[in-house]
Amino acid sequence: MADATVQGSHLSKSFGERRVIDDLSFEVAPGEVIGLLGKNGAGKTTLLELMLGFTPPTSGTVSVFGHPSQRLPGPVKSRVGFVPQQDELLDQLTVADQLRVIESFYAHWDAELIERLCREWNVNTAARIKNLSVGERQKLSILLAFGQRPHLLVLDEPVASLDPLARRQFLEQLVEISADGERAVIFSSHIVSDIERLANRIWILKNGRLDWQGDLDSLKDSIVRLHIRGAAEAVAGVEVPGAISLRREAGFATAVVRGWKPELQHSLRAVHAVTVEVESLGLEEIFLELHR
Amino acid sequence: MSAVARLVYTYFTSTRLACVLSGGGILLFAVSLIVVFGMPQPEDMVLFASAGQLAFFLGSSNMPLLAGRLSQGHAARLLPQGRLKLFLSMMVTVALVALPTLLLMPFAVIAGTIKVGVAVDIARLATDPKLRSFVIDMALMIYASLCILAGWLYLAMWFVTSQRNSAGFSKALVIIVILMLAPTQEVNDPSSDAWTSLLQLAIAWIVFGAIFLAWPRLKNWRTRSWIPGLFPRARAVRSAGREIDLMLGTHNPWMYIGALLVPVFLATRIGQFSPAVWLYMLTIFSAVNGAISGQAAERSRALWLRAGWSRSELFARVEASFARHNSFVLGVLLVLMVGIGSYEGHPVGMLAAGLPLLILGTATSTYLGLMLTRGVRWSEALLAIVLMLTLMALPLMLDTRVPNMAAVVALEVILAIVAIVLRFVARSRWAAIDWTECRRPRDARLAPG
Repeated sequence: MADATVQGSHLSKSFGERRVIDDLSFEVAPGEVIGLLGKNGAGKTTLLELMLGFTPPTSGTVSVFGHPSQRLPGPVKSRVGFVPQQDELLDQLTVADQLRVIESFYAHWDAELIERLCREWNVNTAARIKNLSVGERQKLSILLAFGQRPHLLVLDEPVASLDPLARRQFLEQLVEISADGERAVIFSSHIVSDIERLANRIWILKNGRLDWQGDLDSLKDSIVRLHIRGAAEAVAGVEVPGAISLRREAGFATAVVRGWKPELQHSLRAVHAVTVEVESLGLEEIFLELHR
Repeated sequence: MSAVARLVYTYFTSTRLACVLSGGGILLFAVSLIVVFGMPQPEDMVLFASAGQLAFFLGSSNMPLLAGRLSQGHAARLLPQGRLKLFLSMMVTVALVALPTLLLMPFAVIAGTIKVGVAVDIARLATDPKLRSFVIDMALMIYASLCILAGWLYLAMWFVTSQRNSAGFSKALVIIVILMLAPTQEVNDPSSDAWTSLLQLAIAWIVFGAIFLAWPRLKNWRTRSWIPGLFPRARAVRSAGREIDLMLGTHNPWMYIGALLVPVFLATRIGQFSPAVWLYMLTIFSAVNGAISGQAAERSRALWLRAGWSRSELFARVEASFARHNSFVLGVLLVLMVGIGSYEGHPVGMLAAGLPLLILGTATSTYLGLMLTRGVRWSEALLAIVLMLTLMALPLMLDTRVPNMAAVVALEVILAIVAIVLRFVARSRWAAIDWTECRRPRDARLAPG
């Protein structure tokens, strides 16, 4: 796809003998808000760093706005914003000074937006950064990434240190940024409800591979929980195609199925003479089921 | 404002203290200009100019820390032309720090050539081609030398502030020694002229710039070319030792010893040094050796959480860890001093006064470092400067035909008392240590995954 914001092809990354990212291929289009989910150590940070060229892949390629991520030209960098997991602020400076330093690198900086967000998010621009709390530092890191109104915004667990109010304000801002359909946002988080609320595409990273990539509705349609009831012998003989987990009790079984299709419900009823109820799962439950 | 200009401005004004020092430096230079035109003694001008130069340099002393942090983080990779602009900002800062001397030089030379009480006649520069040529050559040579000197000093500060471990201190130490030896060599073998100095400066900047700009790729290449298990023994030795020593960074004194042996070896090959220069150098080594204790407070929190020690017990363990580390380094320093002294025939009095001086250098700096449980404040910074000046003054006091041994011994006794007092203060501070007031670790790296 020529106009993909980010494109990865057979991307792998190893640290010593440990393969953290294993043969990933993906595309991120403008207007997409991608929520990246994965357990600790699944490779989320490594994947984001590979995307932006912070670390070279062991094999494969990744491009940002059509340019190899390892060699992004200045104008392309101007279109990218990044919030690292751990802030990289300059402790000695005041908030205003830090903002001015970063602003000076960009030809287009939305000072009005930053001023408004500082006000709304209660960021004291006169304060020294070393005196800020962890949450306040996180807010400032996010502001620094918003200032140039990036066309690609990559956020590595940006809300981990924010209070619920700040988190909500941040999410509202992300919605505003992505609303014009021209910008792509990729953010990793362990707060699944945030991803559920915001992302229109979900990536679930497991053992270095994308265990799922697609939109949230497809994911929810694809992975469901079945409650199967019937005679004890009938339930004991039930085989559920695509079951991630299957728990049987006398006359009752619960299965989580991947790749669910409505026809399966009819065939289970017909073949095993059981009743089948289908329960939709939330993203958090899906994530837990996929990692059982 | 462009990024380079903004960065340079930020280096000079990053903190209130930096603002005061930078502003003070400019003011002192202005005063020295007035002095050179209006007063008969050029010495006064030199005093003001030197103080101004020092203040201006110190005003920008956050530059290595700020530029280092920016260049090591993701920002330098993602900001448009980030690394190039950072490099340019460093170059401009160095050029600016040395600039006042360049501006003052022509007037100072003319002031030095006229009679006392006669006003400086700047028009002589236009009418006297020989004087003009001499002044320009001299100014360029001094300017280039100052740029190189400032650049090396910033680099040393960068190593200390970015790595903050014995490896960083060792690298800084090597640079300090080069700075000490190079001027001595220049006195022994004066071959420099303006163009040679400018060429040296250009080469230094090109080499540094090439390494700085290519560093991300060099780092990736280094990571790629690393064959796991190639040097397992070396890696094992590097990460072996007592847990407390590993956490405090005192497990491997040989790294520091290696770093100090290189310049000592070079010094023996470069030229003849007076006993005072040797003692001066070894005293600085001994003081820097103790200085790594400055990070002990913030590093000790994990120890306190994991071990069942009280704060007082923790201090005793930390002190013992530094004593073990320092004893190795001090042992080597003392052997070096006796060895070099015997070989070169240094006076016995100097050796006798020098041995306790090395021990005192390490002891005072170690306990000063251990005192830093709440970062570096004005009082500690001032104390460190006074101690360093005293330690550096003692070798010079011994470097006379008939040294005043009574004064030397008295100063050494005072230093011993200071070390005991510092230990007492450090122990009482550690008894009530509040780790939230220690400096945040800045060298935390993102773990993959």
